[in-house]
Amino acid sequence: MTGWRHNQVMALLSPQDEATLKQHLSSITLPVELVLFTQAFGGSETGDVAKQILNEIAALNDKITIVEKSFVLDTDDKAKYKIDKAPAIVILSDGTDTRMRMYGAPTGYEFVGLVEAILVAGTGKIDLEPETMKWIQAVDKPTHIQVFSTPT
Amino acid sequence: MAAANPLITADAIEATEFMDLSRKYRVTGVPKTIVNETIEIMGGLPEQVFVRAALDLPEEQPET
Repeated sequence: MTGWRHNQVMALLSPQDEATLKQHLSSITLPVELVLFTQAFGGSETGDVAKQILNEIAALNDKITIVEKSFVLDTDDKAKYKIDKAPAIVILSDGTDTRMRMYGAPTGYEFVGLVEAILVAGTGKIDLEPETMKWIQAVDKPTHIQVFSTPT
Repeated sequence: MAAANPLITADAIEATEFMDLSRKYRVTGVPKTIVNETIEIMGGLPEQVFVRAALDLPEEQPET
């Protein structure tokens, strides 16, 4: 019976994935909060998948914490973070909103995006070319970027 | 981009989960990026090309 955690659901990350991810996350120096909004009733079951993925990531680094919010009941937080659909993940860096959001279960390509967002939030480092950074920093009006992708 | 400028917000949306939005923005292939409801960018692009398109910056002029 050794090593069999029979009171848990099957892990989404393999031990190899966990080891690689833990290595990546070791560069984090700032606290990262992942605020997860889910809808318990009438919502999609991808909320549970999102929760499991976030818990598995948070287990790999003690600077990463998960805060669970109800899409239905926590209306103040919903308004604060401007959340209009669930499941939603808000990424905070040392308590500050990074304005990066993920909607839907972060699997496949979205998972890669989530890890990159956590690294930006946790290191304060943005991996962009200096010229591109100049263009982005020169933006002087509200800009809303929505990127659609699929798990595969 | 959002992390670099407080005026920018960036949403990553799982297209199959939010079909109504995918229909609204005519997402027929991924990745597809929508900026301020008006700019549409299809596919993955090199960093500078993508940022230029997203911020609606003029095309780079070839050096002469």
